Amino acid sequence: MTASKLLLISASMLALTMGTASAQTLSIGLQDDPDTLDPARGGTYSGRIVFDALCDKLVDIDANLDIVPQLATEWSWNEDSTELTMSLRDDVVFHDGTPFDAEAVRANIERMQTMEGSSRRSELSPITSVEVVDDHTVTLVLETPFAPLLSVLTDRAGMMVSPTAAEGNEDFGAAPVCSGPYEFAERSARDFIRLEKFDDYWNADEIGYEAVEYQIIPDSTVRLSRIQAGDLDVAERIAPTDLEAIRSDESLQLQTSPGLAVSHLFINVGEEGGILADSPELREAVELAIDRMAINEVAFNGEFTPTNQMIPPSSIFNSSAHPIPERDVAAAQALVEASGVENPTIEITYENSLTDGRVAQILQAMIQEAGFTVSLLPLETSSAIERYLAGNFELYIGNWSGRADPDPTLYTFFGTGGSQNLNGYSSEALDEVLIAARGELDTEARQGLYEDAAEIYLTDRPTIPLYHSTWFYGASADVEGITIYPDGIFRVTGVGPAE
Amino acid sequence: MTNDTSTPAPTPLAGPRASGRKSALRRCLSHPSTIIGGTIVVFFVLVAVFAPLIAPFDPLASNWGNVRQPPSALHWFGTDDLGRDVLSRVIFGARASLAAGIIAVALAIALGVPLGLMAGYFGGLVDMVISRLTDALLAVPFLVLAIALAAFLGPSLQNAMIAIGVAAMPIFIRLTRGQVLSIKNEDYVTAVRGLGVRDRAIIVSHILPNVLAPIVVQGTITMAVAVLAEASLAFLGLGQMPPAPSWGSMLDIARQFLTQAPWMAVWPGVAIIAIVLGFNLLGDGLNDTLTPQQEDG
Repeated sequence: MTASKLLLISASMLALTMGTASAQTLSIGLQDDPDTLDPARGGTYSGRIVFDALCDKLVDIDANLDIVPQLATEWSWNEDSTELTMSLRDDVVFHDGTPFDAEAVRANIERMQTMEGSSRRSELSPITSVEVVDDHTVTLVLETPFAPLLSVLTDRAGMMVSPTAAEGNEDFGAAPVCSGPYEFAERSARDFIRLEKFDDYWNADEIGYEAVEYQIIPDSTVRLSRIQAGDLDVAERIAPTDLEAIRSDESLQLQTSPGLAVSHLFINVGEEGGILADSPELREAVELAIDRMAINEVAFNGEFTPTNQMIPPSSIFNSSAHPIPERDVAAAQALVEASGVENPTIEITYENSLTDGRVAQILQAMIQEAGFTVSLLPLETSSAIERYLAGNFELYIGNWSGRADPDPTLYTFFGTGGSQNLNGYSSEALDEVLIAARGELDTEARQGLYEDAAEIYLTDRPTIPLYHSTWFYGASADVEGITIYPDGIFRVTGVGPAE
Repeated sequence: MTNDTSTPAPTPLAGPRASGRKSALRRCLSHPSTIIGGTIVVFFVLVAVFAPLIAPFDPLASNWGNVRQPPSALHWFGTDDLGRDVLSRVIFGARASLAAGIIAVALAIALGVPLGLMAGYFGGLVDMVISRLTDALLAVPFLVLAIALAAFLGPSLQNAMIAIGVAAMPIFIRLTRGQVLSIKNEDYVTAVRGLGVRDRAIIVSHILPNVLAPIVVQGTITMAVAVLAEASLAFLGLGQMPPAPSWGSMLDIARQFLTQAPWMAVWPGVAIIAIVLGFNLLGDGLNDTLTPQQEDG
């Protein structure tokens, strides 16, 4: 026994000296417990972080939001932009040994389009059929051109699960089988999710850890103290006010990326709306009363990006022709007076979080300076969302996670019948522009269309965008190769222990 | 709850109070706990009443250029995350806390004491229904019940008071019922009953005055619990609505800034401790002075 123990010790010391500290677990602190780990159903941001290690997708984005290969190596559109043909990697197997091929892509897309409870149905609805050209070539056929399709495939809709494992398996999400760098090992609800390295991964050289463990730690202060104490390697969503603690600590690193998310003051312009619904002048007065820079400074230590648009400046579809208007209280007061409304009163509804609470109180103070009376209605999350979905609000502080492509943001919020169009807004002109942009594959022409769209919705003001949040990841300095993209997902590929 | 009120208090006063009000008052005032506790409570009451005169700043006035500033000659307690003066907010916060304490306890007494009188005096079915309902309410921990009620009623200071009052009510039912049971067969009660006095008059003029002392003591102690409960509800976002200050909601916001701006948490925390201590000392003092007096009698 002693001899074997000695052998073990010397072997492990050898391993250490050789720098192959890869027999390690990467522990990542998540704010929320993900919902089901089935890409067809998943609906949480923290779930997307886990999916990155678990499930590869057809295509991915890079830091500039350009589409880059993952399971598909190249792709091309036919002449009238109704068929997307993709060449697939031929060296990929799923965690259960099933080979990945064109047939698997078809099975996956059809599963997500038809499965009961699928959350991907509307995202994939433009695809009318999937044709298997050969073992490693597949064609997605559309009825009409749909430019955002590739962008849709960079998220869960593009994630491929093993058709053998998924076939008829109602509880697939409890033990998912995909083709990503790590395979599912264990999950304890509200506690942790453990994944172990998949040895047959096609890109195994880029994978630095033997296992990844996602720990659920709701409080950002606790996540921070855990990385400070060294018992957590990575922590997501560090509070903007805590960044100084990481920047000043040499044993920690801060990784950031401007985000796609937008927080906005959604105005009900429909029947349930208040005095703002019928008065574009009062809506303008509200916007003029708001100092976005001050909100950013006071609520977020100046670490976020103030904005007046739904599409962030990191996207090429942000309209540079529409800079953030300066705060002008006098002009706002004049508009309020000219409106002739006696003591205009408005109510802001929001989810009772500390962040939204602070923003709401700042907004209240600012808008009141223009002559409004502003009341606040903080509601506990589920009742807030219930009211939001029912369109039962005058103004609502909305937090939208954003997408790499502008269409899912602009169409869902402003398009007539869009799934987030809950404020009764409808503009024929804007609908026309947004639908034209969907069918336009030429980037420059598309930029022009979204420029027109910005002009329309910034004039109509169905909402007042406030800021884009920034992604902040804190990590131990011993973890190398972390890069955060605008989608805020922690990508495990290329990440390893420092030498 | 800290007080087990299921046991009736020591032998109650036989007949109308032996020693007059004056001596009871004198005894109370000479007890050290009552003096210290009373002083603290009176201090906070004065602060709450005269808040607009004492507070150096408007508690709602934000100053964007002056957020999370440490205590200084201008802002004695520093400023908060929106640049508001912490001292002024603590001063105005006393209003929410005291209102919650006093109104919630008043509500608990107003509901609990009549129910306890009825249960104790009439007995039988009335007693059974009231007592079983009380048992059911007491089975739920006080704060959990208050949170559930507040969440059900919706967040506001008024609803928080109602929730705390209802959650604190069963203890008064039980206390009053126990007291009534122990005196309702006393000779003087039997005597007035024999004279044909109506039940209502007996309860109001002969029973109620003789069960009042323990209720006053319990009320004072419950006041401390209610203040703490209001702070807890506000901390959870179920009490005073922003931007109006409450010590609990101030703590809730301050916990995010514990390392950068500890003064945001310290002062509301100290205020909560002080007022709870005040009510508890006062309750202890009253308990010591009011209860023995009955034993002597």
